Amino acid sequence: MMDNSSTLHLALPAVYTVASATAPVSTLAQPRAFSTSVNPLVFFSILDHYLRRNADQDRVIGTLLGVRSEDGSEVEIKGCYPVPHLETQDQVEVDMEYHRTMFDLHKQVNSKEVIVGWYATGADLNSYSALIHDFYQKEVSSFPAVHLTMDTALTNERLGVKTYISAPVGITSKADNCMFIPIPCDVKYFKAERAGLELLASAKETEDGSTTLLSDMDNLERAIIEVQKMLERVSEYVDAVLAGTKPANNTVGRYLMDTVSVVPKVDAAEFEKMFNSHLQDLLMVIYLANMTRTQLAVAKRLEKLL
Amino acid sequence: MPTNKELSAALDIEGTVPIQSVQLDAMVVLKIVKHCREFAPSTVTGQLMGLDVNGVLEVTHSFPMPKNQESEDFEGSQYQLQMMRCLREVNVDDNSVGWYQSAHLGNFMNQSLIEHQFEFQQALNKSVLIIHDVARSSMGNLNLRALRLTPSFMKLYKEKKFTTEALAKAKLTFSNIFEELPITIRNTALLNALLFELETPNETAEISTSHLTTYKNSTLTNATKKKNKSVLTPSFDMLDLSLDPYVAKNLENLMDTIEDHQQEQGNYAYWQRSVERENKKKAAYLANRKTENVRRAQAGQAPLPNEDVDAMFKLPAEPSRLDHLLISGQIDTYCKQINQFAGPTLGKLFAAGELQK
Repeated sequence: MMDNSSTLHLALPAVYTVASATAPVSTLAQPRAFSTSVNPLVFFSILDHYLRRNADQDRVIGTLLGVRSEDGSEVEIKGCYPVPHLETQDQVEVDMEYHRTMFDLHKQVNSKEVIVGWYATGADLNSYSALIHDFYQKEVSSFPAVHLTMDTALTNERLGVKTYISAPVGITSKADNCMFIPIPCDVKYFKAERAGLELLASAKETEDGSTTLLSDMDNLERAIIEVQKMLERVSEYVDAVLAGTKPANNTVGRYLMDTVSVVPKVDAAEFEKMFNSHLQDLLMVIYLANMTRTQLAVAKRLEKLL
Repeated sequence: MPTNKELSAALDIEGTVPIQSVQLDAMVVLKIVKHCREFAPSTVTGQLMGLDVNGVLEVTHSFPMPKNQESEDFEGSQYQLQMMRCLREVNVDDNSVGWYQSAHLGNFMNQSLIEHQFEFQQALNKSVLIIHDVARSSMGNLNLRALRLTPSFMKLYKEKKFTTEALAKAKLTFSNIFEELPITIRNTALLNALLFELETPNETAEISTSHLTTYKNSTLTNATKKKNKSVLTPSFDMLDLSLDPYVAKNLENLMDTIEDHQQEQGNYAYWQRSVERENKKKAAYLANRKTENVRRAQAGQAPLPNEDVDAMFKLPAEPSRLDHLLISGQIDTYCKQINQFAGPTLGKLFAAGELQK
């Protein structure tokens, strides 16, 4: 067991030294530069699982699924499923059969995702964590298993998400002798998911946490307002620097420079031509689409008359 | 297939309030999006689970279905049953309330989808179909639609009677095959906490969620990646100016459908002509018979009966108008889509125009 908040800072440089010590155990893996990226769906599923836990349970665990990069140094956690388990004073029981069945089911849908580790809620790691981790370590064979924790009790008012791999401690390797080493963790998502996330994020400010879908137009409006706000902030900052009320920041300046230079310089006449042809295309398409719809509507009416 | 007796038996307690709207849990939205995106551009389906509460269908969980379920029908239902059993064990609402399917630029109107949804609605009256349009969602605005077959369509489909007459009688046109339900999305309190956390820049964080990478521009962001960047930086996919691929694809689809439509129309016209021909023949025969009867009456013989005429001339059966209906619906969807897309694009064009000046 280890106190994560105090060891965290110390452990980071230690990753390299301790990790090299683990090399004989996990021969294939290259624990240096080990990192994980997590799909937001995983967080969502864990929280949902936590909300649906049994009344007498204060932490839940589950299996993490994902893909590894070829050399095993990067793990992408893409999905997860809950696994029922029982913790008592002196022992811990994980429903292995359930875990296997679920994995088989998942494999039928997505054969690319394999077991990469496990998750638990709650901020602290205890000796049970080590035992469960040992089990998952066997599941993933030669690769290091990843352990992800999520602080659902909101200590420090954060949902601290942390990921670990383990390293054996002591001369003889025993299942419950291990040390959890924190590893870096990113959040990764795709374009289509980003749209979904954005919408979900817009729901967080409302009272009941619900939102409705936006039309394309509304969404565009939102984006434009956002841009306007950013521009305002930038120009405010620039004005402040010019007036001498704020110290100039070279990095920010360089970013601004880059941004401004990105705007393509197009000849006015050329642009006019491009603009007009696009506009005409678009109007033509709209016109044709509307014509088609009118035709359909006429056909509809005629059919009703029959 | 998704209809099984166990399910319907479990759902006997249904109330009588019709569903007014659909409420999706945030997790369900993400699950659907992920599943559809991973297998794009092929079409995938999955199950929705939840409860209906006073006219609001709350979808709280979903799971993907394995592909090619048509060929291995048995395994599909086996998979589903097992999955449901497993989910029940971890306190998920194991109550099937519908299914979802991915689509590309709205190309979802087809016979198999209708059949699937029909079976669903037969078994569970309150089931719903969620369409997630992957192509449109990737343009920066999540595109989800909740659909149900209308009662009048259900009735006609059950009787398999899609003649022009029946359609006119039921007042069924392409616009009321489906009814669309409004969708709301709900976050739980803990989720809100997570979203806030993702959004706030991580000043103290050493390890946790500190970087943002979207796949497409990961190389770009890597160069400019800053330490304390929040995960949910605003995205401006919506402001993308390139409209050509989208419109072109859409028009292509539209053209294909219109071709189908034309073919369908050809079939119909053919049928009409043959009916007309038969009718003409029949009329000629009847007239013949009449003159003969007149002659026979003059000769004092009994007139020949007219009854056998109907049996002699069989009118060809009217082809099913279902295809026609669906194709019209599809054309309508495409047109609407183009219009929906064109509005914001016009705005964007003019904005860009102003910017250049």
